[in-house]
Amino acid sequence: MFLRLVADSFTRRPRRKLLSMAALAMGMAVATAALSVSLDVGDRLAQEFRSLGANLLVTPQADSLPLEIGGVDYRPANAGAYLPEANIGKLKTIFWRFNIMAFAPILEAPVEAWSPASKHWSSPDVADSAILIGTWSDHSVPVPDGTSYETGIEKTNPWWQVDGRWFTEGADECLVGTAFANKFGVKAGDVLNIRANDRTGWRALKVVGMLSTGGPEEGAIVAPLTIVQQLAEKPGQYRRLYVSALTKPEDAFARKDPKTMTPAEYDTWYCTPYISAIALQISEELKGTDVRVIRRVAEGEGNVLTRVRMLLWLVTFASLLAAALAVGASAAASVIERRTEIGLMKALGANSALVGVLLAAEQLLLAIVGGGIGYAIGILLARVLGERIFGFAPEPRLFVLLVILVLAAIITLLGSAFPLRKASRYDPAPILRGE
Amino acid sequence: MMRATPMFWRIIRRLLTANYGRLFVILLALGAGAAVTSALLNLQIDAKKRLTTEFRSLGANVIVAPRETTTPDANGTTLDEALMAQLPTHHEAKPVPAVGFLYVIGEVAKEGTVQFEPAVIAGTEGHGLTEIRPGRRTEYLASLEQDPFACEVGAKAAAQFKVHAGDSLRLRDQGREEACKVFAVVATGGAEDTQIFASLKTAQTLAELSGRISLIQLSVTGTPTSVNAFISSLGKSLPGADVHGIKQLTEAEGRIYDRISGLLSATVLLVLFLTSLCVMAGMSNVAVERKNDVGLMKAIGGSIRRVVHLFLTEAILLGIAGGLIGSAIGLAASIWLGKAVFGVAAQPRLIVYPVSVALTMITSIASAFPLRRLASIRPASVFRGEE
Repeated sequence: MFLRLVADSFTRRPRRKLLSMAALAMGMAVATAALSVSLDVGDRLAQEFRSLGANLLVTPQADSLPLEIGGVDYRPANAGAYLPEANIGKLKTIFWRFNIMAFAPILEAPVEAWSPASKHWSSPDVADSAILIGTWSDHSVPVPDGTSYETGIEKTNPWWQVDGRWFTEGADECLVGTAFANKFGVKAGDVLNIRANDRTGWRALKVVGMLSTGGPEEGAIVAPLTIVQQLAEKPGQYRRLYVSALTKPEDAFARKDPKTMTPAEYDTWYCTPYISAIALQISEELKGTDVRVIRRVAEGEGNVLTRVRMLLWLVTFASLLAAALAVGASAAASVIERRTEIGLMKALGANSALVGVLLAAEQLLLAIVGGGIGYAIGILLARVLGERIFGFAPEPRLFVLLVILVLAAIITLLGSAFPLRKASRYDPAPILRGE
Repeated sequence: MMRATPMFWRIIRRLLTANYGRLFVILLALGAGAAVTSALLNLQIDAKKRLTTEFRSLGANVIVAPRETTTPDANGTTLDEALMAQLPTHHEAKPVPAVGFLYVIGEVAKEGTVQFEPAVIAGTEGHGLTEIRPGRRTEYLASLEQDPFACEVGAKAAAQFKVHAGDSLRLRDQGREEACKVFAVVATGGAEDTQIFASLKTAQTLAELSGRISLIQLSVTGTPTSVNAFISSLGKSLPGADVHGIKQLTEAEGRIYDRISGLLSATVLLVLFLTSLCVMAGMSNVAVERKNDVGLMKAIGGSIRRVVHLFLTEAILLGIAGGLIGSAIGLAASIWLGKAVFGVAAQPRLIVYPVSVALTMITSIASAFPLRRLASIRPASVFRGEE
C-alpha cells in the first residue's frame, strides 16, 4: 500500500514531478560535470605543468662547484665529479616510479669546431671554441626490472624547438643552436668537425637541425651523449640529470622536516608524491648523488594548482547550492499544494510520522531518478568540457555516480525537510473544510 | 500596453503578501541564483588576473641580452649599464622587477683560508631580486643586507666554501681581489645555487668591466599576449639589445593560462546557465500552484492577457528584489572567497552587479512563462477540484 501510494503520486501527476526532477537533474548535471572535471583536472594540469621542464636536478654529491650560468656548465672536462650513466634506469624502480615522467642526463665539454661550410672557421688551423652539450634524444633506457623506458631531452625540456630533426642516438649527428649557426654560418646538412683536445682527434658530425631554446644552449652544439663522452674521455658518465616528475603540490605537512616526523607521519610523507619525498627516494636509489628541487618550477606549479583546484571546488559547491535551493523550492511548493491530500490521509488514520515518511520516500525516489539523469547529462558535459579544454575526456567514474546519488538524496531531503515537517503537523479538519 | 489601475497594483500587493512562506521560498531561489551568479562572475574575472600574478612565482620571464651572444664565453659580450634606466618600471599598473646581472667566473675562498676555488660571481643591481630569482633563504641576516659589500650565497656554494650568514668571502679574478660579507644563503635548486651574488660594483671591479652588465632579467606580470606586447615594445625601444622571453616560461605559461582560463569560463558559464534553469524549474513549480487564483480571476471576468500581465509584473518585481539582494550577497561573498582562494580579497567589479541583477530578472520572467499554460484553464474544472 505504501509503495502504491508513492508510485501513484508519480504516475498521476507526471508533469509536477517532471519539473522537480528537471531542477534536480540540472543541478546534479552541473555537480557531476564540475566534480568529474575537478577530480581529473589536477592530474591533467600537473601534466601541463611538465611543459615547464624538470623539477628535480641530480648532481654528484662530492663535486667541485659547477660554473653554471643559465643552463650551461663552463667547467673543463677534467674538473669535478661525474655520475655513471648505467645507473639512470634505477629511477624507474623507486616507490613513485610511475610519477617519473621524463629524465635526461647532460654532459658538457668545451670543444674546438670548424666546418668547411663556415666563412671564418673553415679549416682546423682557425677552429673556434664552442660548448658541446651531450644528452639523450628518444633514448631507450634499460630498467633493472627488465623493461625499458623511452625518454630524452625533448621530453624534459619541451620548449626546445628543432628546425630540422633531432639527432639519432649513436649516429655521428648533432644539432646546432640558432645563435651558433648564425655566427658560424652553418645550416642543416653541413658537416661540423669538433675535438676536445689534441689526443682525441677531429670528429665529423653532420648537422641535422637547428635548436632554439631561448637560453644559452642556442650558442652551443648539442650531440648524442655517447659522442660527447668519447670526446671528453668520460665514457659512460654524465654531469647532471634533469628529472621531470608528477608531484602533489606541497602543503604545510610536506614542508615539515622529515627528520622531526613521527614514524607514522614519515610513512605518510614517504608514500605521498611530494617532490621532497620523490627527491629522497631518488637519492636512495642513485648512490652518491645530491638531488635538488628546482624551486621556481616546483613552487610555481604548486601555487597555481592549489588555487585552481580550490576554484573548481568552489564552482562545484556553488552548483550544488543552486541545485539544493531549487529543489527545496519545488519540494516546498509541492507540499503546500498537497495539503488536502495530507489532510485526507491523516483523517483516514495516518499519523504524522507516516505522512512524513511517505513524502520523504517520494522525494528519495525523485532524488535517485533525477540524480541518475543528472549524472548522465553531467558525464556528457564533462566530456565536452574536457575535450575542448584539455583535448582529453575525463573517465566516467562510478565513484562520482555514488557521490551524486547520495548528494541528490541529501539535497532533496534537506530541501524538503522544512515543508515536510510542517506538512506532517497539519491538522486535518481545517484543511478538509477548505480553510 | 494595458493601463495599470490602482486595482492592478492592489492585486499585485496581495499576490506578494498573501503567503509569506511562498514569497520567502521564491525570493530564496531567485536570491541564491543571483548570489551564485554574481559571486562566480566576479571571482572568475578576478581569478584570471590573479593567475598571471601567481605565475610570477616562476621568476623572471623576460631577458635583455647583448645582441651578439654568439660566443658561449661567459666573460664575453656585455651591455651598457645605462640601459637599466630605460626600462619601464610598470606594465599595466603592476611593477616590473628588473635586475641587471654581470657574471664573472672568478675564484672564491672563505676569509681566513687560502684555498681559492673557481666559482661564478654574479654582480646584481636593481629591484626585486627575490622575485626574479625565486627560492628559499635558508639563512638570512637582515642587519647585513644594507652593507655595500654584502653578498648572498647559493646553497651549494655555501656548502662548498663552508660559509654561513655573517661570514666573509674573498673574491678574486686575475689578480684583482674584493671581499664581501655573506648576509643570506639561498636555495633555488637551479644554477643560482652555485653562484655568489655580490653587488654589481664588486663584480665590475673584479672583472674590470666598469659600467657593463651581462644581461637584465625582468619579471613581467600579465596575460601571455600582454607579455609578448611588452617584449616587442621593449625590443623596439632598445635597438642595441636582444629582448626575448624565457621560452621555457612564456610557452608553458601561455599554455597553462589558456587551459585554466578556458576551464574557468566554461565551468562558470555552465553553472550560470544551469543555475538559471534550476531556479526556473523550481519557480515554475511554485507558479503552477497558482491555478486556483487564475481560475478565480477568469471566473470573475479577467482576460487571460490581463492575468498573464499580472503574473509577469509580479515576476519582474520578485526578480528585481531577489536580484538586488542576492547579487549584493554574492559580491560580498566573492570578496571573501577571493581571500580564501588567492589570499587577496577579490575586487568587486561594479559591472557584475547590474549584469547579475538583469540575469536574475530574465530568469524570473522566463520562469513565469509556464503560466501561459494557464490560459487553457477552465475555471469550472478548477473549482470542482479536477486537474
